[in-house]
Amino acid sequence: MHNNEKGQIYDIQGYAVHDGPGIRTTIFTKGCPLRCLWCHSPESQHHKNELGYLPIKCLGLATCQNACIEACPRGAISAREPVQALDGSGMVEKAEIDRDICDACLQCSEVCITKALYSSGRETTVDEVYARVDKDRDFFQNGGGITISGGEPMAQFDFTYNLAIRLKEGGLHICLDTTGQAQEEQYRKIMPFIDLFLYDIKHMDSEMHKKLTGLGNELILSNARFLAESGAALQIRVPIIPKLTDSESNLQKTSEFCVSLGSAVKLVQLLPYHKAGRMKYDRLGWKYKLTNVEPPDDAFMAKTLELFQRHGLNAQLY
Amino acid sequence: MEKFDVPVSARVQQLQQKRARINKDLRLNIERNRILTEYFRTHENEYPILKKAGFLYEWAATREINIDDDDIFLGDAGPHTRSVHFDIEQTSTNWLRRCFGDTDERFRAAWQVPGSIWVDDEDRKYLVEVADFWDTRSIAATGLGLVPPEFFDRFPKGFDFRELTGSYPGHFLPNYEKAVCVGFGAVRREAEAKLEEIRKKTTTDNVRSDLFYRAVIKTCDAIILMSKRYAAGCREKAETAAGDRKAELLRMADSCEWIMENPARNLWEGIQAVLFYQNLITADGTHWADSPGLIDSFLGVLLENDVKTGALSHEQAQELCDAFLMQIGNQIIMFPKPNNDMLIEAHKQGKIFFDLQGGMQNIAAGMLITLGGMKRDGSGDYNLATEMLLLSYYRLRVAEPSLALRINKDTPDRIWEIAIACSKRAGGLPQFNNDEVIIKQMIDKGIALEDARRYAVFGCVEPGVSGMEWSMAANCGAFGGGMNSLVNLLNFCIHGNVNPMTGETGQLPCKKLYEYESFEEFQAEYERQIKASIDLGARMIHFATLIFDHAWPCISASVMLDGCMESGKDVTWGGAKYNGHGQMINAVATVADSMMTIKKLCFDDKTVSTRELYDALSTNWEGHEQLRQRILNEVPFYGNDNDESDALAAWAYGLTAEYMNSRPGPYNGCLNTGALDLYWVAGGKRTWATPDGRKTGDALSPSSDPRQDAVKNGPLSYVKSVSKLPWDKLRCGGAINLRFDANSVRGDESAAKVRDLISSYFAMGGVQFHFTVADTEIMRAAQKNPQDYQDLIVRIAGFSAYFTHLPFDDQENYIARYEIQV
Repeated sequence: MHNNEKGQIYDIQGYAVHDGPGIRTTIFTKGCPLRCLWCHSPESQHHKNELGYLPIKCLGLATCQNACIEACPRGAISAREPVQALDGSGMVEKAEIDRDICDACLQCSEVCITKALYSSGRETTVDEVYARVDKDRDFFQNGGGITISGGEPMAQFDFTYNLAIRLKEGGLHICLDTTGQAQEEQYRKIMPFIDLFLYDIKHMDSEMHKKLTGLGNELILSNARFLAESGAALQIRVPIIPKLTDSESNLQKTSEFCVSLGSAVKLVQLLPYHKAGRMKYDRLGWKYKLTNVEPPDDAFMAKTLELFQRHGLNAQLY
Repeated sequence: MEKFDVPVSARVQQLQQKRARINKDLRLNIERNRILTEYFRTHENEYPILKKAGFLYEWAATREINIDDDDIFLGDAGPHTRSVHFDIEQTSTNWLRRCFGDTDERFRAAWQVPGSIWVDDEDRKYLVEVADFWDTRSIAATGLGLVPPEFFDRFPKGFDFRELTGSYPGHFLPNYEKAVCVGFGAVRREAEAKLEEIRKKTTTDNVRSDLFYRAVIKTCDAIILMSKRYAAGCREKAETAAGDRKAELLRMADSCEWIMENPARNLWEGIQAVLFYQNLITADGTHWADSPGLIDSFLGVLLENDVKTGALSHEQAQELCDAFLMQIGNQIIMFPKPNNDMLIEAHKQGKIFFDLQGGMQNIAAGMLITLGGMKRDGSGDYNLATEMLLLSYYRLRVAEPSLALRINKDTPDRIWEIAIACSKRAGGLPQFNNDEVIIKQMIDKGIALEDARRYAVFGCVEPGVSGMEWSMAANCGAFGGGMNSLVNLLNFCIHGNVNPMTGETGQLPCKKLYEYESFEEFQAEYERQIKASIDLGARMIHFATLIFDHAWPCISASVMLDGCMESGKDVTWGGAKYNGHGQMINAVATVADSMMTIKKLCFDDKTVSTRELYDALSTNWEGHEQLRQRILNEVPFYGNDNDESDALAAWAYGLTAEYMNSRPGPYNGCLNTGALDLYWVAGGKRTWATPDGRKTGDALSPSSDPRQDAVKNGPLSYVKSVSKLPWDKLRCGGAINLRFDANSVRGDESAAKVRDLISSYFAMGGVQFHFTVADTEIMRAAQKNPQDYQDLIVRIAGFSAYFTHLPFDDQENYIARYEIQV
């Protein structure tokens, strides 16, 4: 076991009540093989750190004497048109990033006094993560614990594997939130340390899956079967994205697939599309792609829930 | 999906509409003040306790008995439902003159326009006329006659002692259980027997008790008479009523003939007895926030019996609980009293009197109801009344009275469920109280275990023993001595015993920040300042207590409170079984973060000199924005489960609490403290810049919660930091106050997870927990269209308030409060 194994994460969040049973603390790893159109955590997609920017925190270049502009080796930062300062103290010129020139060297984030410029992720170690999440232990009495999420945690297998061992040694309940897009061998290896897999089934049609996420679903479906047959516990999560995943035939097939996995499936959660992640795209200077999709209405979600329950599945809306 | 949506009956809906109607058309009631003034004028030489009892009898005998056609229960503080009242003897006579003796034009703009609290011309004239009489006879006048001069020097320049009014101690838990289950007839008989004893052998020691028992008899007669007058009123009404209402009025008449003198026989009588007794206490003197503790415990017995015998259906019992909540919430007190300038300006902006109260007062009386808990033997005390009263709050969505629920190992799952659903919907009601820690605190106060198990919460968050303790207010009695502002004391240590905001000096000369050689030296100075401040305050409390002992007894409380009948002493003479006095401390985070900044930057890392920080503070950060940003972004602040900053918070509050607890309290009881603030926005405006990067005038941190923008590690770290405060020593309580966005509490499991969170916090030693579900988006919408969000309730500190009634600054502060989003 390697406690100094390094990994790339973008957040650790306490009271992550949507990531498994009980109160949980979730570790969000950085980097994912999929590119889901509805992804609400754009910073989770790439392993490498991006430059994040929250203009509202920038107090104007006069306050820090152009610290970021001076620090940028490529001249990607300049002054924006002056705007009214938040505290009404006058006009301020905030930083503007030319994303075409910026190569995310992050030197500006190191000198930014307000942390308006920041790195979207950070390097950490198994030990460091363990020390942080161990502090939340007193909240886990009632079935809670740690969720390793992402991104795709299996994309940093050595880190995730060693972290899982360390957490298990610490007597903690562990959920692994995975897309299923990793080698079967790796799942076999990590399985003994995972109490519950939170496993996404995004679309049953491989072609559609590829359109929506960038990759086909073959490996995902076969890994699900492998885990089910090997005695793992699964909580299947089905994103309900209007126009993209919500066709009756797809939902029908998804529920049939869940049924085929047998008793390994403890719970199916239906996740209605939400727009909460949109502003995160702005921070990275990215474009949000699903501009014309609205969250599904309650009636549709209730109908979908019924469909899954009709198949005898323990299903729930989230 | 809301499984607790039991329908609200048509009659209760009518009461709700009536309330909404009256809230737009409030009136000042001075009936009680007139009766008091006339009685005091004509009985100048009567001994204070006899004078108070005589007045109560006069009030009961002559007050107007009003019975409305839609009344389910009877009795208001004044002749009209929901009239606003104040006590003239605890009001500044200068205020009376300024407000009501103002020019006709200004008086009308302040008190006779739509949205104002309407004052009749005749009442106006009366209030100005009697100001002269009260000048030398008010509670403040009594205070002026006995408080030592050094305390006057502590007030800000130009401050008139009378502005402080010398208000009643307030904040206690009357013995409603005895009023309902034993009755005043039995107490009267006991008083007669006691008098008999004294008359056999009167001594210096018991002669004052002779007066006391005579006052008890007079007070019992007063409340029994009032009840019978209501009985007569009901009968009179019944003559012209028809059908069901006629029968109901006759039933009410029979009950009013019986209760108060005798023990209540059913739920209606039990509730009515609580309400009549509440009216009596309010008439005696507004003890701001006197609170009905553990009412479900004794009302539940009556309720369950009525349901069992079929006297009441489930729906009827629920209707009575609903109507009770509406009726007891009809008490309205004018507490802080704005001047005409403020009122005129407010009315111009379409605001009302209660919008001016700095977010600290609803249209209410500051009461708090406690439900659930333990019996004296330690077993759980939850019944159908607990459930139904919780459901009343859930369905009626009222912000007042405030509500506390006691939590222990016997709390039924269903009670947990309703309580969490209620808190989600009704803005932080109930607050959850941890029996395990609070009972230990009570025992530390010297309370016997069986009694400690019967604690309830009063005011905002303060626990006391229901019906046994003369607990006194969190802040009253200290006369604004400033001992509760640890932030100002910290500033004294930084600026050499000068408050930079006012230029005034503190008690103890000391160094300036750049003169300390180590953090330990700074900390030691701070400790010295804190202790000196507590010493002064603790001394002051005894003089405050003496004011009431001397001339302002509280016979309405003494007649029922445990200990008084036995000792033959009024509560203000130390007659209660238990005594205590509370002082709150505030701004935990502002203090801890400021200390952490000094420690880390100036002494540990030595990256900023004490001189530089001092200069930055002295100029309110002018020209030091870089340093300020560094502090805000680099110093590990309280609220992030950082052991070092959390330990500084625990040090300052532990030190304060321990020292306070060790000082002698009134009547040989103890002094207590807690972590609560209602004024962090207003208080911040009066507080100079602090080392945590806070600018002069910015809000302080709220009570024991972290500074709003400092929470970086999420809610678990937040909760854990707060749990590290020495709650076992903070016997006046103090709550963690979390705000969730709706997304965080959606889904079937969310209630269970909130329960887990509360239980975890309690297992870590926390005492009280509040939460509100309020999305920023919704609050922004409410600011734009307040008329559409009249029932949006948010938890402020120890109480909940309608969001749209909060002043703008407080709304903004609430929105800025850390929101849990997952």
